[in-house]
Amino acid sequence: MKKNQSINNVLFLLVGITTLIGMGCQKRDITDLQSPSFPNTAEVFIDDFTSDLAYAAFGTSDVKAFQVDNQVSYGGTRQSMRFDVPDANSPNGSYAGGVFLSKTGRNLSGYNAITFYIKASQPATIGSLGFGNDFGANKYLVTLSALTVNSNWKKVIIPIPDASKLTQEKGLFWYSTGPENNRGYSFWIDEVKFEKVGDLGQATATIINGVDRAQVSYVGVTNTLDGFSATYNMPDGVNRTINLTPYYFKFSNTNPAVASVTENGIVTTIGGGTTKITATLDTIHARGSLTLNSAGAYVGAPTPTRDPANVTSVFSDAYTNINVDYYNGYWAPFQTTQSADFQVGNDRVLNYTNFNFVGIQVTSPTVNIGNRSNLHLDLYFPDNINPGATFKVRVLDFGANGAPGGGDDVSDIVTLTNPALAARTWLSFDIPFSSLPGLATKGHFGQIIMEGTNISNFFADNIYFWSNPVVPPVPAPVPTRPSANVLSVFSDSYTNLAGSDFFPNWGQSTVVTQIPIGGNNTLRYSNFNYQGLQLAANQNLTSYQFLHIDYYSSNAGTLNAFLISPPGSPGGTAPWEKAFSLSVPTAGWHSIDIPLSHFTPQVALSSVFQFKFDGGTGSDIFLDNIYFWRIPPVPTVAAPVPTYPAGGVISIFSDSYTNVPGSDLNPNWGQATVVTQTPIVGNNTLVYTGLNYQGLQFGSNQDVSGKQFLHLDFYSANSTALNVYLICPPGSPGGTAPWEKAYALTVPTANGWNSVDIPLSHFTPQVALNNVFQLKFDGNGTIYLDNILFR
Amino acid sequence: MILSIYRRLKNTLLTGVVCTTLVFAMSSCEREAVQTLPQREWELVWSDEFNGTAGNAPDAAKWAFDIGTGSNGWGNSELQYYTSRPANVQLDGSGKLVITARSESYAGSGFTSARIKTKGLFAQAYGRFEARIKTPTGPGIWPAFWMLGANIDTKPWPQCGEIDIMEQRGQQPSVTHGTVHGPGYSGGNSIGKPYALTSGRFDTDYHIYAVEWGEDYIDFFVDNFLYQRITPEDVPGEWVYNQPFFLLLNVAVGGNFVGFPTTGTPFPQSMYVDYVKVYKQK
Repeated sequence: MKKNQSINNVLFLLVGITTLIGMGCQKRDITDLQSPSFPNTAEVFIDDFTSDLAYAAFGTSDVKAFQVDNQVSYGGTRQSMRFDVPDANSPNGSYAGGVFLSKTGRNLSGYNAITFYIKASQPATIGSLGFGNDFGANKYLVTLSALTVNSNWKKVIIPIPDASKLTQEKGLFWYSTGPENNRGYSFWIDEVKFEKVGDLGQATATIINGVDRAQVSYVGVTNTLDGFSATYNMPDGVNRTINLTPYYFKFSNTNPAVASVTENGIVTTIGGGTTKITATLDTIHARGSLTLNSAGAYVGAPTPTRDPANVTSVFSDAYTNINVDYYNGYWAPFQTTQSADFQVGNDRVLNYTNFNFVGIQVTSPTVNIGNRSNLHLDLYFPDNINPGATFKVRVLDFGANGAPGGGDDVSDIVTLTNPALAARTWLSFDIPFSSLPGLATKGHFGQIIMEGTNISNFFADNIYFWSNPVVPPVPAPVPTRPSANVLSVFSDSYTNLAGSDFFPNWGQSTVVTQIPIGGNNTLRYSNFNYQGLQLAANQNLTSYQFLHIDYYSSNAGTLNAFLISPPGSPGGTAPWEKAFSLSVPTAGWHSIDIPLSHFTPQVALSSVFQFKFDGGTGSDIFLDNIYFWRIPPVPTVAAPVPTYPAGGVISIFSDSYTNVPGSDLNPNWGQATVVTQTPIVGNNTLVYTGLNYQGLQFGSNQDVSGKQFLHLDFYSANSTALNVYLICPPGSPGGTAPWEKAYALTVPTANGWNSVDIPLSHFTPQVALNNVFQLKFDGNGTIYLDNILFR
Repeated sequence: MILSIYRRLKNTLLTGVVCTTLVFAMSSCEREAVQTLPQREWELVWSDEFNGTAGNAPDAAKWAFDIGTGSNGWGNSELQYYTSRPANVQLDGSGKLVITARSESYAGSGFTSARIKTKGLFAQAYGRFEARIKTPTGPGIWPAFWMLGANIDTKPWPQCGEIDIMEQRGQQPSVTHGTVHGPGYSGGNSIGKPYALTSGRFDTDYHIYAVEWGEDYIDFFVDNFLYQRITPEDVPGEWVYNQPFFLLLNVAVGGNFVGFPTTGTPFPQSMYVDYVKVYKQK
């Protein structure tokens, strides 16, 4: 600055010259301020407080940090302001900070900067300085951060971004700073005043830190604009950037039907379409913009319904989430994924853009998910799914040390395929841990990593681990089979066999208890490895057909059920027992009816005395309604009454229609079958006893080519095979040898009458449908038939 | 074509007076000076309005490029590498020439910029040489509109002479300099003066920089305001301003005149030139 003198001479010279052409003789002209309703006093502190000035220290700061100093001042004035920054952890306060307020408010609209001189007892960085802090809304707060100072006085200029806003500003000056390397120091500020500085240049401004951001949005989404700054070139040619509030900016919105913008920069999407939000600061067009591509109404992810007791939630508004380090680790250098999370109402949604991979981390602390069985994710892909797009999820456990590394980390990854990836609909994925075999330990869950190919953007919600409740929340379904056909071992619905031992000591770890669930007594196996069940007496099950079991386990990996005969029982064979594998874990109660034939020939059904369950590794099993049952040999109800309009029906055998006259229900084809008719609850029913085969001759040849189905109702408690044939006379045009075709019927009819509609197309081309004249059944057992008709 | 720039100035100042009189009357300064200049009538002989398509280079019939780092940073320890790339020099499509200094690694230099000249294409002795320019700023930024003697290849600098119509230090955005360099008074011993704006800066708007050069004087103007006259009596050596000079426009980074750029120097920085015009006296 040795040039100062000559420049000043020039300035004086020029000041004189400008007098000639009508300008004022002051370098900085402050005479033409608009007429104020508030005082426009420029001075804040020159030699002392101006009359309207008050000081207030920030909370937790050292309230005695500021004082007027009459030993040190700038430019030979009497006094300056001194600020004593405390040491770290000082009992008086941890930092120095406060506000110089105008008690009346001032009109500062005629100025363009606040200026002051500053020096410090040592080189230091002042944390924050500025104006607009009024101890209230701080609407027009301006902050200059990280001002470096030293032991020489230097002038600081903090520009006012748009002074027209400051017509009644109370926040004249504020500061806040902490110790340097934990040590306090002092700094002085003097000659604080508002000015119209003539030589500021090249003003620029930003919103969103100057970034042009585009994002998908929905009605109800709010985006809070940030990254507001203004940069001015100082009289020494150096840029100075200040941070400021959105209230200084004027926002533009290309499509107000899509979004609204408040003066504090909150953008709310209100309709579908595209809009671009930009801003101006005074006359400066700010760099940065927000483009919203609104798809209109937002459809949120399905609301989870699982009991919070069975959920460990990473991200969901439906549950209390565990402590998550971050939902986007921004892992350098290869991650490209950005986050543009949004909120609709109270529904927060993770929104990952420019996606390649992204990690969610949980290390403070890691979480035990050993009691969970599945990972749930709801995902939404706003863009079309590209060919080759894949989405993978990796789950990591940090092992016993609870931290990344250390050689004990385990993980596994799964590609999401069910449901298939699809655009613009929420997809719910439940990943069973069984599909993550590499996740060998689960005591210290630490990360979920999502990886994508050909997917640039997705939303995620309801990321949680879950398990079915260990104890069933509801009782097993109540059995409905008539007790006459049931031999019950364990059920509240029947009289059970007396004297069964549910907890015989076979050396197992399993603990057996009986607990009421919804008032229904339930057998509970805890710490299950295997478990026997001893009947009081050997049971002859030959008149029964099925073993029914209701079972539940949220945590079992394997569960087998055995029937056991005493070794050496006639009719059985070593090892006198046989397993049936039950599907576990279950999402709820599972009911199964195991055909007793499954257990033969090892088990002698004439002499069964034990059950056994095995396959456990400390799991919890709940059992109920263990009983043997049989289908009643004779139907207890009539076949269902057909409701087809009579005009569309050609009936062979039914009480509900006029049958084709003259049919022979028992033609003599050399069969062993005995044919009778019997009323079942008043409804005439055809009975084949001891079926080997049996014909049925129509009273006349029938043209059924205009019909679609052969309908019949059938019932059999003991048949194991039953076929029905439709037959046309050999040589009928349109048919072909052997002029008949079989259709297999499912027997026995475990659930009562079975109604079947056989498409007549099944019988072509062998059968000429325009000329049928016989039915034939073959198989075995006793068969009840009704409502044989074409429709 | 006859322009009466001086008449306009005159009208602004003292209507009806044939000779313009500038009165240095200062209430705060104890000095009074009166300077009388003859009326001058000018005829335009050479100009470039820089009309053209955005991104194009300046008219090759009028301007040539200096490329590279010269000798010892063009004699001044300048830091930039001059290129002819559009990133450093181009027309903006709105009638402006833009010379941009950038902070970027290029061919071993830390900065790039551009320097153009009329050497071999146009030179003139005497007349009015003016340009309308919005200058760049920032510590270490050194924009210039200047002239060199066209005999520089046979009479090396400083014997050829140099007239700096506009030179600025970016750390002083309100100050411009007008200077002459000649034998015995070059470099740090050059003859010139600064001129400062009372309010405002040279980088925030366009200003007209000019010299009016005759056989025994060089008058320096900013916005048609005379702030310096240099005559043979003012220079301690030979008066070499009696032969044709050519024009140069450039933005240097760093160097003896301006010092190093700092971390606070804003980059990129552009000099915008609205026009360059050369007149001869009628």
